[in-house]
Amino acid sequence: MVYKILYLYPDLLDLYGDSGNIEVLKYRLQKRGIECQVDTYSILEDKPNFSDYNLIFMGGGADREQSILSEDLVKYKEDIISAIDKGVFVLLICGGFQLFGKYYKDADGQVIDGLGIFDYYTVSGGKRNRNIGNIIIESQIDGEPYKVIGFENHGGITYDISNSFGKILYKNPNNTYDFEGFMLDNVIGTYLHGPLLSKNPALADYIIKIGLKCKNKKEIELEPLDDELENKCRDVLITQFL
Amino acid sequence: MYYKIVILICKFVYKFMKLLGKNGGTLPGNIALRLNKNILKHFNITGNVIAVTGTNGKTSTTNLISNILSNSGSVVSNREGNNINTGITSLLVKNCDLSGNIKCDYLVLECDEHYIPVVFKDLKLDSFVVLNFFRDQLDRTGEVETLIQKIDKFLEGYTGNLILNSDDPNVSRLGFNKSKCKVYYYGVEKFSGATSSMRDRGEGKYCPFCSARLEYDYYQYSHVGKFHCPNCDFGKNNIDSIVSGIDLKKGKFEYNNKTFETRYNTIYNMYNVSAAFMLSSIYDISMDYLYESVKGFELNNGRLESVVINDCPTVLNLVKNPTGANVTINYMNQDDEHKEMMFVLNDKIADGKDVSWIWDINFSILNNVDRIITSGTRAYDMAVRIKNSGYDVKKIEVYQSIDEAVNNLYKNNGKKYVIFNYTATTDTRRAVLNYKGDKNGL
Ligand SMILES: [Zn+2]
Repeated sequence: MVYKILYLYPDLLDLYGDSGNIEVLKYRLQKRGIECQVDTYSILEDKPNFSDYNLIFMGGGADREQSILSEDLVKYKEDIISAIDKGVFVLLICGGFQLFGKYYKDADGQVIDGLGIFDYYTVSGGKRNRNIGNIIIESQIDGEPYKVIGFENHGGITYDISNSFGKILYKNPNNTYDFEGFMLDNVIGTYLHGPLLSKNPALADYIIKIGLKCKNKKEIELEPLDDELENKCRDVLITQFL
Repeated sequence: MYYKIVILICKFVYKFMKLLGKNGGTLPGNIALRLNKNILKHFNITGNVIAVTGTNGKTSTTNLISNILSNSGSVVSNREGNNINTGITSLLVKNCDLSGNIKCDYLVLECDEHYIPVVFKDLKLDSFVVLNFFRDQLDRTGEVETLIQKIDKFLEGYTGNLILNSDDPNVSRLGFNKSKCKVYYYGVEKFSGATSSMRDRGEGKYCPFCSARLEYDYYQYSHVGKFHCPNCDFGKNNIDSIVSGIDLKKGKFEYNNKTFETRYNTIYNMYNVSAAFMLSSIYDISMDYLYESVKGFELNNGRLESVVINDCPTVLNLVKNPTGANVTINYMNQDDEHKEMMFVLNDKIADGKDVSWIWDINFSILNNVDRIITSGTRAYDMAVRIKNSGYDVKKIEVYQSIDEAVNNLYKNNGKKYVIFNYTATTDTRRAVLNYKGDKNGL
């Protein structure tokens, strides 16, 4: 069995250790004897076959880089929608999350068009107003409540979200919103770095499971792994913050 | 408040703190700036003012430059690295007369990259050395691009010497199309550890002038290497100072056809040396002084510090960002001996509360590391990161208490590498250097 990941714009969107998410997935797949293939796509490269993957991943980047690539990404809008319809998992962090929405309005009021695949939109909170800090949300993973732990660092606030990723349990007190991110069965868009999957092994396994189900047309039972270090890490942070 | 009175008050504060046995730190400067926010305008420096900035290597480059220049004149410098406006003001208050005159041949200032415009809007600047720009504690300081633009804007009115790292696109771009100041580029010849693709993560992959993807002949470390833009003239610099013939294991390199011996043993120290030599050549410093300064240079205070504890050779090193950590790991990998490593990770405000940068450290290439101990407020984050790089989880031990971690580190014999971030420095050095051991009981 192979789990194929399409990593979009890794050379442009690789802030805050987001590529660590790929490392976590690779580790958890290989421990279970599942081969992990990571293909990358960036500007001016050959068009990938989006529907051919188990997971499409996109991270966050600096504003300048984000505007370079938004023009490129829009060419593939229909292909990406079709991949999502077929059940391919899409994991979007920060900038990637924003670009899949309708638009991003920056600090100067300028609007950068998004792909418009989802209905939400993002507005910059102003140059000096970033949301930065440790964050814990309560999400539903595989039908169970699960605390997702991460670190957020973003200037934009995303509005009009139909299904949030989770309810915020702990955040920097300056942040004004109560819900975080966007989630469908096979899509997660979020501001959580950390990297996201490093402290949330159940979420990593959920992304593996849904991605495998899509290509194998049946539920694949995942062997449990030794998550002692991850769980202790979670315990320390949950005790400290909640 | 009238500046002479402010200086007088702050000199008293400084003397008073000295009487109390304290070194004063940034307090006199803090008070001076509160009493008169333009106080920096009123210092009159007789000699040349030199500033050193960049993400990594500021303190060691400032020290090297001060050592070299002290052979040819009197030097005032913030060697301990109090490098923001308050620390620099403290230094000036301490060294000026009651009218604000500072009599020295060279004032050498390490300056935090974010404070360059603040400090040098009011203070004269003759030579400005820029080392590198990497991601550093991003949650506190914002994006690298914002920083570069801020410095670029400051340079619009600058008329002195501008000494730039030719191999870091983030730095080299500052010299592009600058006509008012005199631009000098320094570099380091390709060394044996250079690679054809980027080994570690870095910045600046696109030309800042035409947005084309930059092309590299080779990478020295991170995004530092021989690059050029395929579309415009960016990256085609005349190099004014080049360090060559580098042999890090033997501690040798060449400059202007002379062989140098040194304790510097990483590629990024070679860039710092090249920067210091470039500056020295502007001030016509004799090659003999360069030779002696580099040869006699000892690193200490947790910057590649070597000690023997409980019969175990131990190397201590402070890392503040992924680039520094990757260079340290590459340095450790040059050592083929069996060894154990300890990594202490804190997430206090001065470290940056976001620890996700550890995922940009490449742990998949460790050479003969038999055990890794993690400690600090984020000990488990560190352990999880190392585990996911593929390192055998059975060889990872976690102790949140630094004393417990050090006790367990020295349970085994053999060589140790101890790495820690900023706020972990004091506690880690104390715990290691004071370790008494159990050898006597055996
Ligand atoms: Zn160009």
